[in-house]
Amino acid sequence: MTTALLIVHGLLAVALLGAITHQAASVLWPATRPAGSFAGRFRAVAAPGYANAVLILYVLTAILGAVIYGEYRISVRIVLEELHLNAANGSFELKEHLAAIGLGMLPAYWWSWRQPEARWRTPLTAILAFVVWWNFLVGHVLNNIRGFGS
Amino acid sequence: MSRAFAAFAIVFAVVYPIAYAISVWKNFALFTYHPALNEFGMGVQKAKDGPAMYWYGWMATSAIAGGIAGVVACLVPERVARRLWPGLAWLVPLCAMLFFAWLLRGYFLR
Repeated sequence: MTTALLIVHGLLAVALLGAITHQAASVLWPATRPAGSFAGRFRAVAAPGYANAVLILYVLTAILGAVIYGEYRISVRIVLEELHLNAANGSFELKEHLAAIGLGMLPAYWWSWRQPEARWRTPLTAILAFVVWWNFLVGHVLNNIRGFGS
Repeated sequence: MSRAFAAFAIVFAVVYPIAYAISVWKNFALFTYHPALNEFGMGVQKAKDGPAMYWYGWMATSAIAGGIAGVVACLVPERVARRLWPGLAWLVPLCAMLFFAWLLRGYFLR
């Protein structure tokens, strides 16, 4: 059951990663002319349209992560401690805190994308994108070190 | 409604990470989860038959603090609310993240 939930958690994280990366790229590196290249088309998306998807995907991913976190605490973290994998352990500790702080940013993030002109949505989106990337990579690496059911 | 939500969202984004950082630092968890027993207990409890998890409790404490502050912000007069710089909604969470990077430095430096 935990493995199935972990897979769904990972799939949601992939979708979230795509959405927030599109949006962050479009505000940090906006396309200035009709896009012809792959990178240009990647940046030339209608960024406001991603806000609801990012909000919902972030919350769903966080909820599923919270559900399987207990199993991680029992069967994965203890092994990491025994193997003295301190950096891996610390990376996950940071992941849990960044995920929690990201949750608190969501109302302001969502609101900023409802405004026609809100310069503060650029750093909000960039920070959320960093959180999502960090959490995705750390989760992926830790699962490779010691996955559920291994 | 829109002005009230804006005030709520910005103040929540400011107070929640501060409350979360303090909750983690001083361990003000609203409740404790014992994953080995699948049990919840009110407040900060010691580990019993397996590790104790406070993460859920820290978030609950912070959500309550942020929620109360946000609701209060909705009630303040508009001229006061206008002075609130929306940039705090990203600056304070960013500082909280840097605080946690500092707090956890021991994992990476030893």
